[in-house]
Amino acid sequence: MELLENQVLKKDLENNIKLIKIILDKCSDVIYREFVFAQNEQIKLALIYTDGLADKGQVSDQIMRALALEVPMAVPGRVITKAQALEFIKERGLCIHQIKETNKVGEVVHAILSGDTVLLVDGHDTAIINGARGWESRPITDPEAEPTVRGPRESFVESIRVNTSLLRRKIKSPKLKIESFRIGRLSATDVAIAYIDGVANDQVVKEVKKRLERIKIDAILETGYIEELIEDEPWSPFPTINHTEKPDRVAAMLLEGRVAIFVDGTPFVLTVPSLLVEFLHASEDYYERFIFTSAVRVIRYLAAFASLILPSLYIAIVSYHHELLPTALLLSVAAQRERVPYPAFFEVFSMELVFEVLREAGIRLPRPIGQAISIVGALVLGDSAVRAGFVAEATIIVVAFTGISSFTFHYSASISFRLLRFFLMILSGTLGLFGLTAGVSAICIHLCGLRSFGVPYLSPVVPTAYSDLKDVVLRAPWWAMLTNPRSVLGNNKKREAYGLKPTPPESGK
Amino acid sequence: MLEKEIIDDKQAVLLIINMILPTALLSLPAITISIAKRDAWISAVLATGVGLMFGRLVSSLVMNFPGKTFFEFSEEILGRFFGKIVGIFFIWWLIHSCSEIVREYGEFLSTAIMPDTPITVFLVVSAIISAYAVKSGFEVLARFNLLFAVLMGVFVLVFAISFLNVKFTRLLPMFDTAMTDILKGTLVPLSWMGEVVVFSAFSPVLKNCRSVVRITDMSILLVGLHFFIGIVGVLMIFGPEVGSAMMYPVFNQVRMISLASFIERLDYIIFMSWVIGGFIKIGIFYFAAVIGVSWMFGLSDYRPIVFPVGIIIVALSVLIHEGIVNQLDFLMNTWPFYSIIIFETGIPLLLWLVSQIKNRRHSA
Repeated sequence: MELLENQVLKKDLENNIKLIKIILDKCSDVIYREFVFAQNEQIKLALIYTDGLADKGQVSDQIMRALALEVPMAVPGRVITKAQALEFIKERGLCIHQIKETNKVGEVVHAILSGDTVLLVDGHDTAIINGARGWESRPITDPEAEPTVRGPRESFVESIRVNTSLLRRKIKSPKLKIESFRIGRLSATDVAIAYIDGVANDQVVKEVKKRLERIKIDAILETGYIEELIEDEPWSPFPTINHTEKPDRVAAMLLEGRVAIFVDGTPFVLTVPSLLVEFLHASEDYYERFIFTSAVRVIRYLAAFASLILPSLYIAIVSYHHELLPTALLLSVAAQRERVPYPAFFEVFSMELVFEVLREAGIRLPRPIGQAISIVGALVLGDSAVRAGFVAEATIIVVAFTGISSFTFHYSASISFRLLRFFLMILSGTLGLFGLTAGVSAICIHLCGLRSFGVPYLSPVVPTAYSDLKDVVLRAPWWAMLTNPRSVLGNNKKREAYGLKPTPPESGK
Repeated sequence: MLEKEIIDDKQAVLLIINMILPTALLSLPAITISIAKRDAWISAVLATGVGLMFGRLVSSLVMNFPGKTFFEFSEEILGRFFGKIVGIFFIWWLIHSCSEIVREYGEFLSTAIMPDTPITVFLVVSAIISAYAVKSGFEVLARFNLLFAVLMGVFVLVFAISFLNVKFTRLLPMFDTAMTDILKGTLVPLSWMGEVVVFSAFSPVLKNCRSVVRITDMSILLVGLHFFIGIVGVLMIFGPEVGSAMMYPVFNQVRMISLASFIERLDYIIFMSWVIGGFIKIGIFYFAAVIGVSWMFGLSDYRPIVFPVGIIIVALSVLIHEGIVNQLDFLMNTWPFYSIIIFETGIPLLLWLVSQIKNRRHSA
């Protein structure tokens, strides 16, 4: 088969069709349409395309109809010979925007399977590839995974061309480069990297290309495949590559000097290099006014922290360090826990597991029953667990709050926080606050050593880039964020003109 | 060994501070006060002055041999044989002090926080966390330290709040203690400040070794300030008698905070930052020991011996003392002389003198 694909086309049409038919044996979705170019000399033509991928309207109207009927009428006096046919068809015959020529069988086959329509002319060893693709796809909808109140509502879809066009609509500069790759022996998936020339760091762009070219795999079905194949630290629980389904977020990332990786067939786009703080930021943070944003971010950071350590802190205090609670609270917690036969560690650990089951079920369940199940799960289960004396009310409060907190920031980061939470719970269940501190220290040491495409994961906090601290926990107003973040290693340092701070007009004028 | 790792001056200063401070705040005030009584703060001031000279000694060695670790330049100065011997002594001291620190932490945790847990658990866990930091590299250790410095802000705030309880009259009468006691008390903080010599094991990580003088001066001054504040705080809150009777007076000082009758028990914040600081301090000594051992065997990478050295440290820390009383006695009466005379001044001074004489001879 490989040998066949390496061959070149011959002059004989019958032979060429036979060759393609052998390669595309038992592919019932490929359509072969042979017809005759109406001229004095009978010139045979063949159209080959994949049903469902090619735009049938375009194929019949702009190619077949044009060739069979309109062209001969348009130039009545001219006699077209077999030898001229290809040139003539190319110049006058096809009403298609994008055509390409090739004589390689492999390329022809790939074009057919990608949705292009191939036109073969008898007596010529060159095929014309018509870019008349058109298939059913999902419309552009609201971002499901990253909903926002204020800001663009569009999200990427499964088609890479639509996705790159969404990005191009945000950045109308020739400096926005979109380079294509094809990865996957069987899937031949289109992969594109996008970056802004002169803004993104050349080293990072080169590194991304190098890592992508390294991949030898049969198929790429989602960005996750690529993420796992190119990340810096495969064993880390933390994601070192960010992903998003929002074009505006990708645009913002590119403008700061990052590189985006698009994959055909998925609405998620990877951006590198990524920092930990990115996962705690939402795109809306930059659209709302900075005072509100800063306040919300403080809450989000606290919530992230709570989602990591709150259950372990509760376990440690209840089982080892009672003196940390004020007396009144201690008495009420002790009264609740009196009925519970299990140690605090077991109680919290099992309730956290229950919560994870509920969360997982909430995602997998068919949408219509999702609501009902979550009510049954959360309310009935929680309430009865307390009444039956399995857990204390305080535990339920802690677990519920932790669960809610973990949804205040980016999903993929919250997964790692959730996993580490269990690790910390075990530590604090055995060693109390010392275990918790040791666990948090281990996590911090791990984070200090992480890198994403050469950029320290904890920057700009550690190592400190002071100018970048304008956009970490608090966000400075837009007129004060004069430079792009240095920690991403971008080249375009200056973001805006100095002195854009608006002032009221002077009175009396 | 450390070629690729580079830290900037601020990180270096913070690193030296956290190399000295964590254990110091734990047990230093009580020991110093028990010797120098009410005038212990004078000891802290004097120790800072002498400590600056220690720092100068170390930094002049580092500057004369740029890009070389302590072990490498001691070999260069004293020749292969004597250099190795000095290096081995120094490695011993690093491992010994590391076990002392680990033990000190274990004792603190098992007496003040969790008395029912066997001390070995704390020793092992502390060593594991520090080993992880060491294995991750010097840059990571420095960054972790920087991250911890951010948290130190909270520590300082809590510490400041505890000063609401002070009574200045407890410092009176001043200069009441005998001069010999004050000088004897000076040795205790000095033995901590002398630990600055450990930094010379990492000198290749500095961006520019010219700045090492500023780095050591700065860090010794800041450490001295902390000692002074720590001792003065304990004196003004508890007075010399109660203060020296307590095992961990700074801890108790923060425990006494009661703001608006619901901000209480802040001692746990101090406790946590001490634990993290302890990991850093252990990590730095551990790292220096590991660098020394890998130098001794001529290894190109230090990572394979992190674990073996860790086992030695933990085992030694289990065996080294019978209990906290024993250890405090050792820290008060033996340790200052042992470490100051031999390792913190003796060996560096010897190296410095020999290198000066050699230089003289070269130029003559």
